[in-house]
Amino acid sequence: MIEIEQLTKQFGDLRAVDDISLTVPAGEFFVILGPNAAGKTTTIKVMAGLMKPTSGSVRICGFDIGANPIEARRRTAYVPDFPFLYDKLTPAEFFRFTGKLFGMEETTMEAEAERLVRRFNLGEFLAKPIEGLSHGTRQRVAIVSALMHSPEVVVFDEPMVGLDPHHARVLKDILREQADAGVTVFVSTHQLSVAEEMADRIGIMHQGRLAAVGSHGELLAANQDNRLESIFLTLTTDKA
Amino acid sequence: MNGAQPIPHWRLLAGVNGTQNWRRLKSAVSRSRLHAFLMGLFVVGYAWLAYVLFHKGLQFTSSFPGLGPVLIERMMFLLFAFLFLLLLLSNVIINFTNLFRNRETQFLLTLPVPHQAIYRWKVFESGILASWAFLFLIAPLVAAYGATYNAPWHFYFVTPLFVALFVVLPGILGSWAALGLARWVDRFAFRVAVVLAVIVLIVAASSWLQPETVTDEMLETRVLDVVDRLLARTRFSLFPFLPSYWVSSGITQWVEGALMGTLFFGLVLLSHTLFFGYLALTRLGGLFYGALSVVSSRGGGEAIGWKFWKHKSALAQAPFAPKLLDRLAGLLWWGRADTRALIVKDIRTFLRDATQWGQSLILLGLLIAYIVNLRHFSHQLTSDFWIDLTSYLNLGACALNLATLTTRFVFPQISLEGKRIWIIGMAPLGMRRTLMSKFLFSTAVSMGVTMALVGASCAMLTIPPGRVLYFTLTVGVMAFTLNALSVGLGAVYPNFREDNPSKIVSGFGGTLCLVLSFLYIVGMLILMAATSRWAFGGSSSSVFWLGWALFLGGSFLLGWLPLRAGIRKMASVEI
Repeated sequence: MIEIEQLTKQFGDLRAVDDISLTVPAGEFFVILGPNAAGKTTTIKVMAGLMKPTSGSVRICGFDIGANPIEARRRTAYVPDFPFLYDKLTPAEFFRFTGKLFGMEETTMEAEAERLVRRFNLGEFLAKPIEGLSHGTRQRVAIVSALMHSPEVVVFDEPMVGLDPHHARVLKDILREQADAGVTVFVSTHQLSVAEEMADRIGIMHQGRLAAVGSHGELLAANQDNRLESIFLTLTTDKA
Repeated sequence: MNGAQPIPHWRLLAGVNGTQNWRRLKSAVSRSRLHAFLMGLFVVGYAWLAYVLFHKGLQFTSSFPGLGPVLIERMMFLLFAFLFLLLLLSNVIINFTNLFRNRETQFLLTLPVPHQAIYRWKVFESGILASWAFLFLIAPLVAAYGATYNAPWHFYFVTPLFVALFVVLPGILGSWAALGLARWVDRFAFRVAVVLAVIVLIVAASSWLQPETVTDEMLETRVLDVVDRLLARTRFSLFPFLPSYWVSSGITQWVEGALMGTLFFGLVLLSHTLFFGYLALTRLGGLFYGALSVVSSRGGGEAIGWKFWKHKSALAQAPFAPKLLDRLAGLLWWGRADTRALIVKDIRTFLRDATQWGQSLILLGLLIAYIVNLRHFSHQLTSDFWIDLTSYLNLGACALNLATLTTRFVFPQISLEGKRIWIIGMAPLGMRRTLMSKFLFSTAVSMGVTMALVGASCAMLTIPPGRVLYFTLTVGVMAFTLNALSVGLGAVYPNFREDNPSKIVSGFGGTLCLVLSFLYIVGMLILMAATSRWAFGGSSSSVFWLGWALFLGGSFLLGWLPLRAGIRKMASVEI
């Protein structure tokens, strides 16, 4: 479960996130949409503990990210838009490293990694140095390493970037399965189709604020429109 | 499922980073054996040559009865005092980068790794990165010191132990300073502080380092008094609260056989290292996270307190209006607009990259300080031999300095432009003209600077105008060759995968460029000195002109051939 309460993040004069409150319960697939510089990545970075909020708080599974960061992160899978990987390691070594950081048992680690590696077709790359892998393959490596410790909360920032249609489908399926299994899934994307297809609820951010939150149907009904695209454009263009 | 016996974070991080570095080394060796051989040769060559020279120098100094040991001991104290200062500066910079600008740090912060563990690992990593090169540089001197005094075998084991304890202190202090800078000083305030610090340093140094007149009579009759006055300027290194004082005292007393004294200073060093080390390793993780959050939350680079300094930026008022640099470039009426735009872009990139202008400033600043001080030194140069030797050494120093700058900044230019192929390579300007414009611009700038420096050094030595012209022309030709070599080899051995210029330089092409530049300078310096008409016995007119012809021909070939190869490579480059 993710609980965001009156979250504000200021960069000098710029208020990137402006008094956001949001609760994403366990088992929900939440997609956050918004134009560039809307504050999505900043919100996610605060949720991941990469920066402190100016005011407000974020709780992951009941643990405040500021007061109890280790417990919060232990339950989180976070993949940024450009994930860091150790270039000279192989994916297998990288999985082992992250598994150990999460305190995973050897057998569980191997089983989980193998399962995800099979789903993402990473088998042939397991023993190759990461530096030689394509952008999409690196993205898949980052996703596997984030998911293998069976997180309770998944926070992905633009996870589809670089993925081919096949692996984008695999990721969507996995995230759906995770949500169905009770994991809280929070994904930021520019692809409206992902939100339409996958999300239980959609949030639209604009200029640091949540302009709208609701299920696909609720958003269509509230805005008396039958296309998410036009709702998105109306909510984010008028105020620009 | 997460119930495994936890492995300490430092072990995991050390393991993963150790594997990374080992594989980097292996791949560097397998990629180019010649490069690895050259690097190995340089390392061994430096260690051996430095040891021999230091040993001879120390033996010479120690041969002065009474004075020698005093001078050598003071030199050791000075060595460690300056080492402490350099390590501190180096640690501040590397800690700042490693803690606040490092992708691994950001990655670790999202994992269940305590802030304290991340801070601890990064301080350790920064300490090694900041110290190894300095320790490598001073090792031959310390070994030569031991050899000069026939130190027992255990000196060579105890000294590294002392030095290892010693380097921890600037490492920790540097990390604290980096935390403070990150937490309290924004980019603008930092720039102002650096400029102020440089001004204060220059004023302090110029008032403190006033030359003292020493007459021949004083040198004949009151040597001890003269030496005492000389050493008075270095007394700061004997300040007993400096860690460098403890390490120097420990080492020098060990050589003298005063083992209890060494033990005392060793314990002083150990207790401070343990105390500060304990604080750093157990208490500062929270401060680190707070500082990191402040750094990543900083907007636009200015804190509120500095707003009165800010003028309404032209960028905000009229973003497309030409700025001063654009207007100045517009004065180059003979150049094409696209070439001028490229030059303006290069200047802006240079000025906005503190690493680039900072390093250039340090190198040129040292040279300028040396040349300015020649006016005090030149009073002592009464013999033609010494004046000639100094003038040729000045030429060499200037050219070597230039070679460092061209290899460091000009060589990686083409590789970096390759990254921007989508805009520069696809523009009508083309890579060939890009290459030539970079060559001509860097040559013009470096010619101006080096010719002015050599001219000034000649003026300080009160050399006749004809010889001033000779030296300034010589360094001008060298500037042409060194720039052509750097641009040419940079195009022949490009590295389009790397963003970091210092990593581009450390490849085979960069090493080759540096080695060829140094060989060229040393070779040409010997040639010019040997065929000089006035220096070192003087040569005939025909030998002099033959020397010039060889110099010009050699310089032209060494510059033109790589440049031509680079142009050809650029014509068919695939990125």
